[in-house]
Amino acid sequence: MHSSSSTEPVASSSQTSLQPSVVATTPGAPICSAVVDGSASKQSNQRARASRTLDPRTKLFMLLVANLMLFFHVSVITQIIMVVLFLIPLAAAGRWKLTMNFALTYAVLTGLGLLDPEALGLPWIHVVSALAVGCTMMLPCFITGAYAFTTTSPSAFICAMRRMHAPESVVIPCVVVIRFFPTIAEDYRQIRNAMALRGIAAGGWELVRHPAQSLEYILIPLLMNATNVAQDLSVAALTKGLGREGTHTSRTEIRMRFVDWLMMIVVLIPLALDIAGVIR
Amino acid sequence: MTASNSPADNTNQNSGKPAKSGKLEVADLITIGVFAALYFVMVCVATLVSTLFTGGFGSIFLPAIAALISGCVYMLLAARLGKFGGITVMGVVIGLFLFISGHFVLSFIASIVFPVVADLIAKAGKYKSKALLLVSYVVFSYGLTGPILPLWFMKDAYIASLQARGKDAAYIDGVFANINTGTFFVSMAAILVCAIIGGWFGQKMMKKHFIKAGIV
Amino acid sequence: MAAEIYSNNVSFTYEHGDKSALIDIMLSIPKGQCIVLCGTSGCGKTTYSRVVNGLIPQFFHGEFSGEQHTCGINTTADPIDKLTPLAGSVFQNPKTQYFNAKVIDELAFPAENMGLSPEEINHRIAEIARRFNIESLLDRSIFHLSGGQKQRIALAAATMLSPMLLVLDEPTSNLDSVAIAQMRELIAQLKASGITIVIAEHRLAWLNGIADRYIIFDNGHIAHEYEADEFLALSPGCIAAMGLRALDLQPYRQRIKALESLTDTQLASTSDTNSSGLASAQHDDAAAAHSVSSPLLSTHDLVIGYRGRDSFSRSIPDLDLCPGQIIGLMGHNGCGKTTLVRTLTGLIKPASGTVLLNGKPVKPRALTRAGFLVMQDVNYQLFSDSVREELLLGLDESDPAIIKRCDQVLEDLDLTRFAGRHPMSLSGGQKQRVAIGSALMCGKDLIILDEPTSGLDRYHMEQVGELLRQLAEQGKTVLVVTHDEELAAGWCTSIINLEHNGSTTNPNS
Repeated sequence: MHSSSSTEPVASSSQTSLQPSVVATTPGAPICSAVVDGSASKQSNQRARASRTLDPRTKLFMLLVANLMLFFHVSVITQIIMVVLFLIPLAAAGRWKLTMNFALTYAVLTGLGLLDPEALGLPWIHVVSALAVGCTMMLPCFITGAYAFTTTSPSAFICAMRRMHAPESVVIPCVVVIRFFPTIAEDYRQIRNAMALRGIAAGGWELVRHPAQSLEYILIPLLMNATNVAQDLSVAALTKGLGREGTHTSRTEIRMRFVDWLMMIVVLIPLALDIAGVIR
Repeated sequence: MTASNSPADNTNQNSGKPAKSGKLEVADLITIGVFAALYFVMVCVATLVSTLFTGGFGSIFLPAIAALISGCVYMLLAARLGKFGGITVMGVVIGLFLFISGHFVLSFIASIVFPVVADLIAKAGKYKSKALLLVSYVVFSYGLTGPILPLWFMKDAYIASLQARGKDAAYIDGVFANINTGTFFVSMAAILVCAIIGGWFGQKMMKKHFIKAGIV
Repeated sequence: MAAEIYSNNVSFTYEHGDKSALIDIMLSIPKGQCIVLCGTSGCGKTTYSRVVNGLIPQFFHGEFSGEQHTCGINTTADPIDKLTPLAGSVFQNPKTQYFNAKVIDELAFPAENMGLSPEEINHRIAEIARRFNIESLLDRSIFHLSGGQKQRIALAAATMLSPMLLVLDEPTSNLDSVAIAQMRELIAQLKASGITIVIAEHRLAWLNGIADRYIIFDNGHIAHEYEADEFLALSPGCIAAMGLRALDLQPYRQRIKALESLTDTQLASTSDTNSSGLASAQHDDAAAAHSVSSPLLSTHDLVIGYRGRDSFSRSIPDLDLCPGQIIGLMGHNGCGKTTLVRTLTGLIKPASGTVLLNGKPVKPRALTRAGFLVMQDVNYQLFSDSVREELLLGLDESDPAIIKRCDQVLEDLDLTRFAGRHPMSLSGGQKQRVAIGSALMCGKDLIILDEPTSGLDRYHMEQVGELLRQLAEQGKTVLVVTHDEELAAGWCTSIINLEHNGSTTNPNS
């Protein structure tokens, strides 16, 4: 449907400065007629396989399961099993430091939770261990959350959302959040520099003393900048076809592979067993 | 660098506003995304502040603190869009990101329900009535109560697991002296108060800066 | 339509505009031509470029009359996404025209929106990456790239769908000479492959030999049309009279080289301020500049830099910045100009060495008090709701002496009629003046400007030059970071080129 409006290709374009394999990029040629160059796509496939993570939908499933654990107040043993299961993909994706941090935190908290104040003769430990128990209940959610956040590329995330038929009115703002969020820190730094140069609210303590004023000084330039950026982004996006009707595809192919289904089943087992009362 | 780099050409600033066709256009969605990112930053700042001051149970006051500082973002978005759906989408997107970063799934439901109501309230005032916008902001701020929900609704589950670990009933009561219905109401009231203050501040800023500069 | 672009009596007024942006434009551009739209600021060239790629009237609303056909599409009748595969656009600001965080996603973006298959998309990405030589950048975050690299990505993304037309709106305003040369290469290649190219530009010199036709806009009309050879044959005086920037930058570059070598000689013989080695015609400038007073700011064995992910360090030859001077700081982007400037204003600590203020070594905080930086994006520096308030920020408003000083500054900077306006409602150049005004009110002696003439036409660039001169005459030390050869050659009393001086250790060049 998009090739109908193009006129016939330019007759003789001198392509001496371009690579000989650039057949498909003759201006005006229908864009669907490119010959798939084996070597180029192989390279990109390799890139896709290099990051060993699960399908975003599996990650979503794991998140939901972690939430279910809260609902059903699972026992300690189940919890430990689940945490280990959740940490495996994180480690497999190469995020060793994060895995270690989570494992350590969980170990410490579980240990605290299991303390018996009576035996130790320190009654106030009850509060500490109760708090620790609370944290351990939330930790599986954070682990799966961290996994989803840090190992999903924006492209895979968007693709998954579109596959799950999320409406464009949610997909587009999500793309923009991913794009704009990191730049806010830089904007903030610039504004603080500007404030320092003007001698207003220079130090951290000054900020706290006049909170309303500080908020104004920081937020207003931030928001002004945001409105300008929003306009520029819209202009750029429109000329690149963002508002187009019809399917939007993605360069990453997400597929539910064997390991995805396996993972989904495996994380369900301990939970199911716990609910059924097998694990106490 | 801004769009209006050329000194004499001011038209860049004012001419880009999307047409008022009831539907959310691509430009609107991008604006929503930008403001959602800003609101998310506000939530992160609020999370930092609330965890710093109230330790592990910091998330009780998270919505209140977030409501206090996000007024400008909300008011400007409402003014820029002026059509139904913007506030709802922003709430949904925020909720989505919070859910994915590990917050409880019920909070996602809260981030749909409250923003929709907020949007309807604002719409009733055609996005211009200051009083209704303030009410709308208060309602919207309750959308962030999601992360707190585990503390109350899961209380029973929590107590059960504590008992399973062999804790004494007396000590459990001691722990939960803080978290009871009273605290619940205090927290909700805090959100109300902070949202009113934050919203009023946001509207003041709107008048002082954005309306005067011609952004809206 | 035989022509690629056909405008018939196109007129347009922006929705909130007070006058027409375009009046009765009649233009026909055949396939494969490279057209340059030029003129003074506000003449309508950007507006016309938006008419060509369909942004007007679909995104920028207002009163549109006439007919516009681009690549066979009627831009008023058909939605803008019909034009997406046919026309690619590149805009002025490298920082805000990319929609994705990573390079490879940005390249894939147009193709994804058109619904191409993943194999097709990846194939095209590989090709484009090869052609534009950006293969090493594919997995990087766009956020961390230089301006020149960003514009290269933007151009690459614009050609992803093999368009027949490319519309560029001032693509080089924020680029240095190296990046401009690269862009010229790319445009030449694209033109050779048969694409029609429309460029709205202020900086015309880089298009010599590539452009086929020049359209001069003036207040919404087309004032002149020239074929390339006609245009290039025009005298510099004639070009200047039309308000355009210079076509031949050679004389400016020579002057800059002369100023640089002057500064080098001065740096080499710092102990002897009236060195007899200065034999050039610019001796008067140097003597005048140096005989005034002792330096405000000096550096001694300074090494600037920062640690962290993109660690960077550069040693700077000892500098002396004296009052009354206008010092130009040049060098390609990434060589440390911004870092140096931030170190001189105390926003960053030096990696080693010292900065002396009035002869005494000081902490960064003192530098922040003494110096001011007018940033490239002035929007970060304006905090109040009126120009007057902005100038009085942080000062005691009840003191009549201060009020008087404020009025004086407003008058000096020609801002009196804007005193009650909100700073954000002013134009870019006016905002610059407000920022400078606030610096003057704070009593700053060192004023640094970061790329103040990006995107400005000749007249406004000259205005900035005059402003610099005014500040220097008031006894301020003025440092200008710029890649604008015309500004540097015309107004700087000395030039420091960081590329040619000092050594750098930078893992990501």
